[in-house]
Amino acid sequence: MELQVINNATCTFCGCVCDDIQLHHDDVRIHKANKACVLGTAWFLNHTAEKKYPDALIDGREATLDEAIEAAANFLYEADMPLVYGMSNTTCEAQKECVALADQLGGLLDSHTSL
Amino acid sequence: MLRITGGKVYDPANGIDGVVKDLCIDDQGLFVPAVEGGRTIDATGMIVFPGGVDVHTHVAGGAINFARAMTPEDHRRTQAFIRTKSRRSGLGGMAPTTFATGYLYAGMGWTTVNEAAVPVLSARHTHEELADIPIVDKASLTLMANNEILLDQLEKGEFERAKQVLAWYLWSAKSYGIKAVNPGGVAAWKYGHDAKQLTSPIDGYSKLTPGVIVTHLARICDELGLPHPVHLHCNNLGAPGNISTTIDTLKHLEGHRAHIAHSQYHAYGGDGWDTMCSETAQLAEYFNAHPSITTDAGAVLFGDTVTITADGPWQHLLYKLTGRKWGNLDVENETGCGIVPYTYRPSNLVNAVQWAAGLELLLLIKNPWQVFLSTDHPNGGCFWRYPEIIELLMRADVRKESLLKLPDGIKGKITLPEIDREYSLYEVAISMSAGPARALGLFQKGNLGLGCDGDVVIYEEDENVRKMFGHPRYVIKGGEIVLEDGEIREAPSGREFIVKPPCDPGIDDFMRPLFEDCYTMSFENYPVEMERIHNPRMQDCIEVPR
Amino acid sequence: MQKSKFLPRGRKDRTMVLVDIRETKSAKAADIFLQVRPGKDFELITILRALIKDRQVSDQAIAETGLTREVIDDLIRRMKGAKFGCVFFGMGLSMTRGKHMNSAALLTLAAEMNAFTKFVAMPMRGHGNVTGADVIMRWQTGYPFGISFSRGYPRYNPGEFSTVDVLVRGDCDAAFIIGADPGATMPQPAIDHLKRIPTIVLDPHVTHTSKLSRVHITTAPQGIAAPGTAYRMDELPMPLKPALKSPYPSDEEVVRRINEAIAKKPFWLPDGSQPQMLNAQV
Repeated sequence: MELQVINNATCTFCGCVCDDIQLHHDDVRIHKANKACVLGTAWFLNHTAEKKYPDALIDGREATLDEAIEAAANFLYEADMPLVYGMSNTTCEAQKECVALADQLGGLLDSHTSL
Repeated sequence: MLRITGGKVYDPANGIDGVVKDLCIDDQGLFVPAVEGGRTIDATGMIVFPGGVDVHTHVAGGAINFARAMTPEDHRRTQAFIRTKSRRSGLGGMAPTTFATGYLYAGMGWTTVNEAAVPVLSARHTHEELADIPIVDKASLTLMANNEILLDQLEKGEFERAKQVLAWYLWSAKSYGIKAVNPGGVAAWKYGHDAKQLTSPIDGYSKLTPGVIVTHLARICDELGLPHPVHLHCNNLGAPGNISTTIDTLKHLEGHRAHIAHSQYHAYGGDGWDTMCSETAQLAEYFNAHPSITTDAGAVLFGDTVTITADGPWQHLLYKLTGRKWGNLDVENETGCGIVPYTYRPSNLVNAVQWAAGLELLLLIKNPWQVFLSTDHPNGGCFWRYPEIIELLMRADVRKESLLKLPDGIKGKITLPEIDREYSLYEVAISMSAGPARALGLFQKGNLGLGCDGDVVIYEEDENVRKMFGHPRYVIKGGEIVLEDGEIREAPSGREFIVKPPCDPGIDDFMRPLFEDCYTMSFENYPVEMERIHNPRMQDCIEVPR
Repeated sequence: MQKSKFLPRGRKDRTMVLVDIRETKSAKAADIFLQVRPGKDFELITILRALIKDRQVSDQAIAETGLTREVIDDLIRRMKGAKFGCVFFGMGLSMTRGKHMNSAALLTLAAEMNAFTKFVAMPMRGHGNVTGADVIMRWQTGYPFGISFSRGYPRYNPGEFSTVDVLVRGDCDAAFIIGADPGATMPQPAIDHLKRIPTIVLDPHVTHTSKLSRVHITTAPQGIAAPGTAYRMDELPMPLKPALKSPYPSDEEVVRRINEAIAKKPFWLPDGSQPQMLNAQV
């Protein structure tokens, strides 16, 4: 099967964020990541578009995305001091939403930097 | 839809000087002759101005964001905007957060701001921050006077090529115009040097001088028809005796349009810190004789601030002078930046000269359409202190009182004590709105005429000028009441002005190999995509008469 | 490696000195490897700061670092002789004995080197887009991390509002974890607290933290199946070009929807209960 090629893709595994990677993929998985280092290759090849996990889990049981979003909103809203933490392996666009979340909740906001 | 009735209107763009007049704004946020329905503001007895326009400020991007990181001690003492259901929280101070920047500007009636220094590599970042500054409309200028690829073209005498390279960069950055900072000096700073003489070759070049860069950037901006001319931060900023460099720079413009940034920092005499004095009279005279050049004051106010400038070598000097924190950024082969917190003190002779020099320029340049209110925020003082400057311009007695705080040694170093001029409201409206809007080529701003943007600020007349300008009764942005009775009502997102200069499509093929040789990111990923600009507004290029 | 006007031969024109407590694979890539004794970073940096200014340093002080005077003199000669020097530093410096004092000493060394030549320093950031988090928090809140909005505006106090401290003390009563797996990396008392409170996790995988959480939502991996932006450690933003289409939503979409769901509920600070702005904080 002919693989599709994406040029100048960006690797977000480490802080170098190389943006010259050539990805060869078949829509389900990436088969080759040219120019990527050992770490980057593992990063690209280990993620697939397969549905390996349930959409969501609530108390360990499978749930729909809508249910999980509602449950998350309720837990966070009910809390007196909720913590929003992490934000390393995610996009800037999601990070902005996280800051907005902590701002709206009146909660705590922290990233990996504090470790 | 909005109607403003009975106010005393100051609209210098249309020659209206304190005439009682009604204004109407339609659903598109534009001034129209009449509207049906909607709210009416009774402005009887009040003063109506076009919304303020800041021609030169630093509110978004890598440098100010570095300054935020460096000054947590200021954040924790300064103004705090408390979160509401619909409005984000924020902090003011020397380097306000993006949300607070919008609230603070709108809070004193400013509705358009120009971020004056953006490296192309940081453009994507800057646009993201600009999108997070609510209420005001925005434009940004691209740093070009130390870009190696451009400088190489000028060194080779390839002027047509240089013009295309510059157009390519400008469009890659999705910006509004060109900023030149310490031409050649920031490039030399990469190796610890500076460029101080307009006619001496820059380190690493055999023919290229700062003067050549100035002449050609001014010419290129005119030939491309950019609505805002080259925005020039001259060489030798802040140094005693730099007036000769500044006058020399102005002569290198060779008749082209230009906007000279923060002139106050470029108008000193003397030959050392002990002998430093104000030479604003000389500079003002040059402006008075050359009406095609505009400037902003870069006025200094006493107190704490943080200085940020692409002028890296100057910031290293300031770090050595003050012994305070110093941040340095190098933006590959494009430009750089330095950050140093600073306190201007009236007891310090140099600071006293700077304070006087900013006001002198605003008072000695006769035509208010040539010199605009600015503090080069945050360098000379924070933008939210503009009402203090307006008071100093309108009230000679307040100036006299302030002069008493200066040390005796100031005698003979400044001319401010001899100046009696007081700004009229009409002149203030030019200096804070109509003038900078015209200089930026934003003809829909700073203008209450039909078809222009419905940005209005309404003041209650008050003897206390600082209070009047610091606390408008209403601020209207695009027909929407964003501030009323001292409270922010709405925080809509503003627009961003962008220019697309004419550009030879073949320039991509020329740029690619040069780019791939020295940049650390992919050529394809470098230009900012149009989709990334929040609420873009294209502004047309213009025909610049020679 | 990139070339430049003054370094036309790329890597060949550059000198790389590696300082570490053990000889790692990186040593092979370096021109010079200096093995410093564990816990002696601050001492070594302080000695360098003294020697660049021609101050006296005793043989004993130098010996304690595990290096010789000869080697240090050679290093200083190279540093001063460089046209443009850059110190990259990582968690081996900032997270060992001395912590931020080590970083401060190193930054001071870089600043002081500018008396001789151009010198800068840059932290090596890891963990994907952690730089983006820093940059965004700075422009939206003024602070890079360790923030509390409990008074309705941002306040900063590492140690008080930083996650490990908050969790170990048991201060927070709910946790929202995104793009991180504290259940695998944090001290046990912190993990124990995450188990006690409602924890919500967004991750492309079911992680250790997911297993102790009340809510886990699977999201698309950034840059592979989710578009957006990531910041490089020198704070330049890079556009992401996802190759795959994930069956899961992006983090951005999920957090936005949580925000929208919370926005439908009454705001925790009732209208009019607070002033709009404080002129000064207390």
